[in-house]
Amino acid sequence: MPSVPRLWWRLLCLACTLAPAAAMANDYLNELIARSRALHLDERRQWHRLLHYSPDLTGPGVHGLADAPRFYLARDGKTNPRSELEATLAVFFSDVEETQQVQNPQCAFIARYRWLDNQLGFDPARMPRRRCPRFEAWRAALNPQSVTLVFPVAYLNNPPSMYGHTLLRIDAKDQDEKTRLLAYAINYAANTDEKNGVAFTIGALIGSYPGMFSMLPYYLKVREYSDLENRDIWEYELNLTPEEIERLLMHVWELAPVYFDYWFFDENCSYYLLEVLEVARPSLDLTSRFRWWAIPSDTVRVVLEQPGLLKRVVYRPSNATLIRHRLGPMSEGERAWVGELARGRAAPQSPEFAALPAAERARVLEVGLDYLNYLRATGRSPVAEPEPLAHALLLERSSLGDQPADPPVPVLEVRPDQGHGTSRLALGGGRRDGANFVELRARPSYHALLDPDGGYTRGAQLEFFDFAVRDYGKGIGPRLEDLKLVNIVSISPRNEFFQPLSWKIDTGWTRRRLASGAEPLVFEVHGGPGLAWTVPDSLRGNTMIYAFLESTAEIDKRLENGFALGAGASFGALTDLSARWRAEVYARGQRFFAGDTDTAWAAGLRQRYALATDWALRLDLSRERQENQSWNAALISLHHYF
Amino acid sequence: MKKLLIAAVLSAVPAIASAVDNLGGCGWGQKLFNGQSGIAPNVLAATTNGLFPNTFSMSFGTSGCAQDGAIRSNWKTAMFIDGNKPRLARDMSIGNGETLDALAHLIGVRDADHAKFNRAAQENLSRIFPSENAPTEQVLVALKQVLAEDRDLAQYASSM
Repeated sequence: MPSVPRLWWRLLCLACTLAPAAAMANDYLNELIARSRALHLDERRQWHRLLHYSPDLTGPGVHGLADAPRFYLARDGKTNPRSELEATLAVFFSDVEETQQVQNPQCAFIARYRWLDNQLGFDPARMPRRRCPRFEAWRAALNPQSVTLVFPVAYLNNPPSMYGHTLLRIDAKDQDEKTRLLAYAINYAANTDEKNGVAFTIGALIGSYPGMFSMLPYYLKVREYSDLENRDIWEYELNLTPEEIERLLMHVWELAPVYFDYWFFDENCSYYLLEVLEVARPSLDLTSRFRWWAIPSDTVRVVLEQPGLLKRVVYRPSNATLIRHRLGPMSEGERAWVGELARGRAAPQSPEFAALPAAERARVLEVGLDYLNYLRATGRSPVAEPEPLAHALLLERSSLGDQPADPPVPVLEVRPDQGHGTSRLALGGGRRDGANFVELRARPSYHALLDPDGGYTRGAQLEFFDFAVRDYGKGIGPRLEDLKLVNIVSISPRNEFFQPLSWKIDTGWTRRRLASGAEPLVFEVHGGPGLAWTVPDSLRGNTMIYAFLESTAEIDKRLENGFALGAGASFGALTDLSARWRAEVYARGQRFFAGDTDTAWAAGLRQRYALATDWALRLDLSRERQENQSWNAALISLHHYF
Repeated sequence: MKKLLIAAVLSAVPAIASAVDNLGGCGWGQKLFNGQSGIAPNVLAATTNGLFPNTFSMSFGTSGCAQDGAIRSNWKTAMFIDGNKPRLARDMSIGNGETLDALAHLIGVRDADHAKFNRAAQENLSRIFPSENAPTEQVLVALKQVLAEDRDLAQYASSM
């Protein structure tokens, strides 16, 4: 890609040596500019889409979201659509020859060229058409037939992946059900070497990384999401016409060397895919609702809402999901074999194993191998040298020939795009410590433990900016009851095969009872590790029980010594009494040993009854003790998700 | 949302990269297959930005095995095997699977010969994968030989 200064230098030189030709070109350029102004092309939606112009927050202007200077051909191109359009027309006269290092501008900005050509009808005698061999070879390699929106689901254990991810897959003409792996994926991601998930998230929150589009074989992404991170993938095949696919690919080609500042909340992986789809099909408006934040599952929803755009959905279970699915119906004996073989504690040649029927041996070997690979991929290889172990299992399985396969993993009933809305508003009322109240609670995202699970991961809570305002009437009056900036709980049940750690962290302002009886809002940070199990079946149970070690730090000048540090534990059990009805009992205690010392505890019962996908009823009962004062609380509220 | 990129970790850990893949620097190699655990694991991922700074970048131009991010057709099979060895070996041992189907497609196996191809791979697993992470070139050569020995599959060996 030529840098802009170099390009302009070339054009300048051209002008010197080819004055008459340049004059002619100039005439035609002026003509084109005049016609573009008459048609108000710089105001057209498609021009703004191609340049990714976004309305300024204040004032009537726009600014381009792309941050790479090379994307703008006019010096003020970032904020002046007309200037950019006219500069674009000008560079199309360039006769720069295409090489491996540079392209002619008609090729480097091929989507703009095509659109302007459609609008103005370039005369090839006066503006020679350049061939674009590199683009054509690239497009031929993709051999595009259709486009699929791919959604690896949310993954709590890696902050940047907590909301999931989206990428595009370009399906080829000679591709079928069995060869999806061979397609190319187009992915927008932040370009950084940052290895630490928390540090990355902070960097991304403040827009410190450049985001870029990249392309790579889909099979690499599947290996990454399915085998390494063990995230299910949903593939939404779209109905784009050949012309729309062409526009999409031309625009992706234009964007290839361009970076956009990557912002975790709004201008993230999912947002730019929507902008690319809008270029492909100009009649779409996918991005205007994502002014402040773009949650990947919401971006999938908006695409699916467009009539006729979704062709089909394919569910791709992860390695861990497949293993769980196959372990479930196994007998205790079979499960034991899986564990022993995968861990190298039993040999496939042993007589006890050989005595089993071939079909059973095949199944055990297959699951054992997948499980061994799962352990290796997650950094928990059971032996120092897993390769010979895996190889032994492979050879043993191959010696058994064809065997009946297990039924495939059933497609989940509720897809990620079909779950409850990511924002929630709740209206309720109750009684606390002898005072009645009404409550309004709101939360922009995302999903709580008690929320209906469909489309989300059970046990994975992720909430941002959850707050409640209560009016206690006479006496206390109205007040901000609590505000949690972030509230994450990851309850991951353990069994003999999967031993994840559970954890939680939350921070924000909460009401803290003082010895005087006052209840100021104090700032707190709270969290800790935990363990969880499902009962009664360790692999498929309905009830989750958990135990956490938790510590708390509170800061407020009204506390004795201005702060409090506490440590303690919590326990609970969460169960689904029916498909709509979930209940949780819990108890927690914190011994504040420094600062404002205290022994605090709380216990309660929470229930949720789902009325519809986006409506639920909650009933919470609790008893709490702080500063030697105890009180009961009850709350009933109606939740609406949107 | 974003893939965490770890540049060249494994190239600095010779013990793990047991077999040097001799694909002229074009292989995906072992990089895919080792992960880490922990509360906030950093996932090793191969994307164009991290481990392959420009080789597979669109609009980068040409490298030995790719042009503007698209893998050259004569490298496709080798790159596919290189990036999918554990899965390929697994599918071969079972006698079917998506990854094996994709390989068959790359080699050009017609539908009618698919079952034969799967069977040949399964029966000759130890030749094709003498070890689980055999060098890609070795796997290719062995696979070619296995196909060549079968009357119906020999036609595909020559196109590999």
